[in-house]
Amino acid sequence: MARILLVEDNEMNRDMLSRRLQRKGFEIEMAVDGKSGVEMGRAGKYDLILMDMSLPEIDGWEATRQLRAAAETADVPIIALTAHAMAGDREKALEAGCNDYDTKPIELDRLLGKMAALLGNEGADS
Amino acid sequence: MSHSAPGSNPVAALRHDLRTPVNHIVGYTEMLLEDLEGPEHAGQREALEDTLAAARDALRAITLVLAPTRDAVEPGELEGLYARLEEPQRRITDVVQTLLAAAGEAPTPTFVDDLHKIAAAAARLVPTHGPATRAAPTTPTDSTAGTAQVLVVDDEEGNREILQRRLEREGYAVVTAAGGHEALALVAQNPVDLVLLDVMMPDLDGLAVLERLKADTVTRDIPVIMISALDDLGAIASCIEAGAVDYLPKPFEPVILRARLAASLAEKRFRDQEKDLVRALGVVTAAATAVEAGAYKGGQLGDLAQRNDAVGRLARVMDRMATEVGERESRLRARLDDLKSEIGVARQTGDFSVAQGDDRLKSGETFAARYTIEAVLGRGGMGTVYRARDTELGDVVAIKTLRPEMVADEDSRERFKDEIRLTRRITHRNVVRTHHFGEWDGLWYLTMEYVEGITARELLDSRGTLAVEPVLAIGTQLAQSLVVAHQTGVIHRDIKPQNLLLDADGVLKVMDFGVARLAESTARHTQAGMIVGTPTYMSPEQLTGEEVDARTDLYAVGVVLYEFLTGQLPLTAPTVMALFAKVLSEEPQRPGTLVEGVPAGLDELIMHLLAKRPEDRPASAAILLERLQALA
Repeated sequence: MARILLVEDNEMNRDMLSRRLQRKGFEIEMAVDGKSGVEMGRAGKYDLILMDMSLPEIDGWEATRQLRAAAETADVPIIALTAHAMAGDREKALEAGCNDYDTKPIELDRLLGKMAALLGNEGADS
Repeated sequence: MSHSAPGSNPVAALRHDLRTPVNHIVGYTEMLLEDLEGPEHAGQREALEDTLAAARDALRAITLVLAPTRDAVEPGELEGLYARLEEPQRRITDVVQTLLAAAGEAPTPTFVDDLHKIAAAAARLVPTHGPATRAAPTTPTDSTAGTAQVLVVDDEEGNREILQRRLEREGYAVVTAAGGHEALALVAQNPVDLVLLDVMMPDLDGLAVLERLKADTVTRDIPVIMISALDDLGAIASCIEAGAVDYLPKPFEPVILRARLAASLAEKRFRDQEKDLVRALGVVTAAATAVEAGAYKGGQLGDLAQRNDAVGRLARVMDRMATEVGERESRLRARLDDLKSEIGVARQTGDFSVAQGDDRLKSGETFAARYTIEAVLGRGGMGTVYRARDTELGDVVAIKTLRPEMVADEDSRERFKDEIRLTRRITHRNVVRTHHFGEWDGLWYLTMEYVEGITARELLDSRGTLAVEPVLAIGTQLAQSLVVAHQTGVIHRDIKPQNLLLDADGVLKVMDFGVARLAESTARHTQAGMIVGTPTYMSPEQLTGEEVDARTDLYAVGVVLYEFLTGQLPLTAPTVMALFAKVLSEEPQRPGTLVEGVPAGLDELIMHLLAKRPEDRPASAAILLERLQALA
């Protein structure tokens, strides 16, 4: 079962996405800001990190850079969740070290597809 | 809730903010659908499917108007979008209400919670309180809106119009200006309650207008909310530094607009109330100052006293007290005027010359190397009083020489010195000041303030009796002198008309504070049981040689007032011994039975003062003063 770290400051987003992913068989842990996202990401062994980009303390861009710079998380796949599609957001996300990005509001099926692509055999139900 | 990054496209930001609640509705609804399997939940599933359909309708409307290809949207289009979202919002809300009402025992632990979450998300879909409040303009019964007047300043006509329409719907009165100069001119004529000010304007921009508003004392407290594009953060920061209370990003979100307006106006109302309160307190304080200066006129607080708040109460109390004080003072002035005219008449008609006597000092003689004796003012049991010029200070003083037997022994002199030292601490317009106690050429003497005037004895002898008002003027001043003396710890012990000086202005001054003590102690030393001073004014306890306190002076005041009112002493007898007996046991006749027109309160007060036992008299000179002042 894949372990996912969800870094999201909005309570309702966090509640809904975590519950929906749990229903799909993922093990979800949550961080409410960039700083604790980085700390938890480095401490726990996650298969994938879902990173909201607009976060208090340190934002998702910076958190991603820090996770990439740390040896233990350098290779953990990260999907950036951005508030709204802007030209260049995708490039920016990849540049910061994200493996993929999705726009909010989250459409579950689309996100599940992107997660499955990154997790490969370690998918939720595998 | 929205993570609108600076620099992002405002249409995208708005699209995101509207899609987020839709997404929440969809997400929670889908979870509920997953939970509600089985035929027994078919009805609930059907209702939830309708919720999903409504959410998809909302999403289509949002994507249509706020298409990803657009980076600007007309205000009218936004209005239309919100109108279109109302229908799905209502459908969703209805489903939630129905399901909650019919839930009975919840089918899953999260069922009720999730329904509430859907309702909360639906509420955010249309940024108003809901269809009901949007259908009709908000009535100004809402105190938040009230009739507050808002000035909208924007160079774009479309923005002005949409803001005006929306604000009017909320119950605000709206005026608009198309530019900075027009706005300043409008505000100068009509200080509105709030200004919505566009940052980017040709000619005079928002910041410049703001700075001018804040520089003017009349307009500086009007809250200003800046209108600006989201990417204008630098300008917004400058405006907030310049005193703007808030900012409103374009395109306008009605919820935010309403919230910021209401908050700013509420704040302004508090500030206005505060300013009003400060102003009102200023008026009350000024009135208090006027009261002190004797310039207060009743009803001066007029409008303030009508107010139905704490300030109004304060003003009413203040006005009533000030009016009472004013009336009391004018009453006291009238009394004093009466007394003055009595004194004036007495001085014109009376003969106050002092007969030639065998005095130690002669006119023209220099005494104590410093005083030139000018005249004899009077003679008493203790010695003679002279008027003399103090050649050192160029001042006129009174010198009282003491009979040698009174100061014969060292102990008496020492005690007397102590008493004089204490007496010198009394500084009051109704007390004759004592300067110095000394000895010259074997003669002990006291120097005192010289008062040009007559004694109350002379006034009595000349006028027979006085009317109530001048008697109250004497009583009040006498009581005032005793209040300070008693506070200092000095009891007079020999209050009598001979010791009360009255100047031409009607000011009464009590003399010989502390002197009676000397006579008493001397008497005890020489002839036990000898009565010193003036038995007719003495309290029973003083006559019997008991320890006395301040209330012995109050008894004497009673006798003095009695005498002034009636022309006679409360108790008289042919011999001292007979008088003695009467003072100890006989009730005097009430003054009101001897003369007409004595107010009951004064009659009662005098009898109270003449009580045989000190504890039956008024407890202090302060209480006596209060009662005298209260007498109408």
